[in-house]
Amino acid sequence: MIMIQNYKLEIITVVAVLAFVVLFLMVSAGGSHEFSGSDDVGSQKIAELTGHPVESFSPVIPQYEPPSGEIESTLFALQASFGGLVLGLVFGYWFGQRKSSLTT
Amino acid sequence: MHIMEGFLPWEWCLLWWLVAIPFLVLGIVELRSMMRKDREYLPLLGVCGAFIFILSALKLPSVTGSCSHPTGTGLSTMCFGVFITSIVGAIVLLFQALLLAHGGLSTMGANMVSMAIGGPIAGYAVYRLLKDTKVNIYVTVFLVTAVADLVTYVITSFELALAYPAQVGGILASFEAFFAIFAITQVPLAIVEGCVLALVFKYIVALKPEILIKLNVFSEDQIIGAHRNDKAVSLAEG
Repeated sequence: MIMIQNYKLEIITVVAVLAFVVLFLMVSAGGSHEFSGSDDVGSQKIAELTGHPVESFSPVIPQYEPPSGEIESTLFALQASFGGLVLGLVFGYWFGQRKSSLTT
Repeated sequence: MHIMEGFLPWEWCLLWWLVAIPFLVLGIVELRSMMRKDREYLPLLGVCGAFIFILSALKLPSVTGSCSHPTGTGLSTMCFGVFITSIVGAIVLLFQALLLAHGGLSTMGANMVSMAIGGPIAGYAVYRLLKDTKVNIYVTVFLVTAVADLVTYVITSFELALAYPAQVGGILASFEAFFAIFAITQVPLAIVEGCVLALVFKYIVALKPEILIKLNVFSEDQIIGAHRNDKAVSLAEG
């Protein structure tokens, strides 16, 4: 009972994530969903509303586009790992600070 | 939630940039004065920024059969307010516009207004409403993050609806269409994001409660109460 109270938030989070995964499995099993980005779906909707095809929208300011999905995923991984690095660093720093302040 | 480069008429690009700029300016002013005052806050800013980086890189599948990403701006909004959050959000959006072709420089104004400004403002409103009430602080964190996430996508829908009103039904009809694409997809993601950030907040309370008290994120009683509650239980268990 005590354990459950202590890890209440952890348990809720795990349940929420699991529910999310189950929901995903159910959706992906039940039909032909592409799971494309909502950004692209939004762009298609714009094309539909205006009557111009998606290709006719050209960038106002020229921009770099990752040449392939692999390179794009690398850059996304880089973004996330940078965040993870900072996160681990700070929490480690605080953890060490707390530990040394408790022992002295 | 990115509006892709080229998908917004230039008048609207300009308008949203003009809305966003004052927030960025105030954000830089606030950030500078905070750094001059006390560098102790920097690690916490790092954590808040790191979450925006990580969460906005994760594109998760949702019930509508498309993928979308959480925003992670709620934590930063509670600790540092809307203006500083707008700076951190702008950095992420700039990275994605320059390197990933997600969003673009011309549409960045609109994307900042939704993700880095509008969402945080809505989250901040919820935070102020619940801050000094008896509501559990982790429930507050959950609601603030979930609302900031969801409202971001509602604003994106609104921006697109204004620029592209439907021929039948006008702005409202096209708002509904974009809302169905962006906001509905986002509901389950917002819930998971709220849980995760509430959990992170619990760890910050466990490791560094004094910084949260100093920033007056919650009152001293609330933080110490939550801290003691978590700790007392773990002592009883050990």
